Amino acid sequence: MSDNMRNNVRDNMGHMNNQLTQEMRDLARELLASGEVKGLFGWTKGSRWYLTPPVFITKPEEADRLCYDEFAVNNLTGLLLDFRDSQDKIAVFVKGCDSRGIVRLVQDNQLKRENIVVIGVPCPGMGDKGAVTDHRQAQELPLLAKCLECRYPNPVLADRTIGAVTVTTEPSAAPSGATAEAAKGRGVGSKEADRFAQVEAIEKMSPDERYAFWQAQNKKCIRCYACRNICPACNCRECIFDSDKKNWVNKAATPTDNAFFGITRAMHVAGRCVECGECERVCPMDIPIMAMNRKLIGDLNELFGPYDAGVKADEKPPLGAFKLDDPEEFM
Amino acid sequence: MSAVDEKKVNAAGQPDPNWEPNIVGFACNWCTYAGADLAGLSRMQYPPNVKLIRVPCSGRANPQFVLRAFQKGADGVLVAGCHPGDCHYATGNYFTRRRFLLFQRLLEFSGIDPRRFQARWISGAEAPKFRDVVTQMAEEVKALGPNRKLREEL
Repeated sequence: MSDNMRNNVRDNMGHMNNQLTQEMRDLARELLASGEVKGLFGWTKGSRWYLTPPVFITKPEEADRLCYDEFAVNNLTGLLLDFRDSQDKIAVFVKGCDSRGIVRLVQDNQLKRENIVVIGVPCPGMGDKGAVTDHRQAQELPLLAKCLECRYPNPVLADRTIGAVTVTTEPSAAPSGATAEAAKGRGVGSKEADRFAQVEAIEKMSPDERYAFWQAQNKKCIRCYACRNICPACNCRECIFDSDKKNWVNKAATPTDNAFFGITRAMHVAGRCVECGECERVCPMDIPIMAMNRKLIGDLNELFGPYDAGVKADEKPPLGAFKLDDPEEFM
Repeated sequence: MSAVDEKKVNAAGQPDPNWEPNIVGFACNWCTYAGADLAGLSRMQYPPNVKLIRVPCSGRANPQFVLRAFQKGADGVLVAGCHPGDCHYATGNYFTRRRFLLFQRLLEFSGIDPRRFQARWISGAEAPKFRDVVTQMAEEVKALGPNRKLREEL
């Protein structure tokens, strides 16, 4: 791509983001003013050009705080858990990947579908702030790996949409809506085939190398539980790692106990992980958490048939179901 | 983990010919535990390496139990329950089958030899099968040597 073209894409995207932000604010104002919803989760511009963190607003006049651009990477659906005991209606903005989190929470009986107003937004692909070289000067950033590997660029469900985005449960559909061109130009979904590349690389190692690899990761873990707290699939009311009654579950951040935590966390979301990649994004120690999740997704697809979690609400997750003729290779 | 740790060594760092594996078995109350009982009543000889823990159903055996056993010094873990279709709770073992098939692969991905974790169907009448499974597993794990992976360091 020439510099000129890149600038064009960027200018177009800036323009579209302004438009989307405007649509977002108008819709939020309408929903809050009419009293249809009590509150709304969206994104707002943060303290730096590459930060667009979540915001929760309850008044129509706060709608102008909303903002949408290629740094609105946070999946807001996990935040809805704050309202699982509430009868209030809450609105939330979702990108394609985020929308699967709604299905997850509804399927797990954590939320009532009728209490959530899901607003689908088109996604231009999210920039990787890890590539920021100058904190003062805005620049074009490469896409996050998860966006290059994206399979659901469009929301799988929505009550309202902005930016003319299409709602579809079709995997690998082309990006749609106002940012479709930008998403295609930036390569959203272009490396879909690489989804399991890291898993395959780890599988090629010898058992001792694999153990050493994970041991090195487990040494880094500080047990901040950020991966658990952000995850729409980790929605237990009381997590086993918070319980003070199970004294066979250690909370110490030693490599073996961290391995226990890591493997347990992966097993607990097995068949339910919606691949939003939030666990890995929020990890302050850069542990490749998604490699573990992807390993399980790949194996589940292979053993019990292809399944994408959080796409169809009436399909049971593979570990919550069985077939009489399931494979029995090691029994 | 160095290669030496994976071999059978005694306190002096020498290969220990008398080393015996420590195997933890989670046995379902209705089938495998009864099968093990029958093996005992029938005076069948099998290696004493396996320590059975009775669980209401093989579906009660949580993957975390397996991890905890490895942490606490198990060299191998066995989960055993009723044959598919024979579950006392009708469907428990079908869930066990899916869960542990997946879990064994995850253990392998984490660097643990999949032979150290086994699951078997053993009915209340299958005392010979219980004896054979335990004998075979004890031999296999003995050949693999002590497990140091995931072991708690005190």
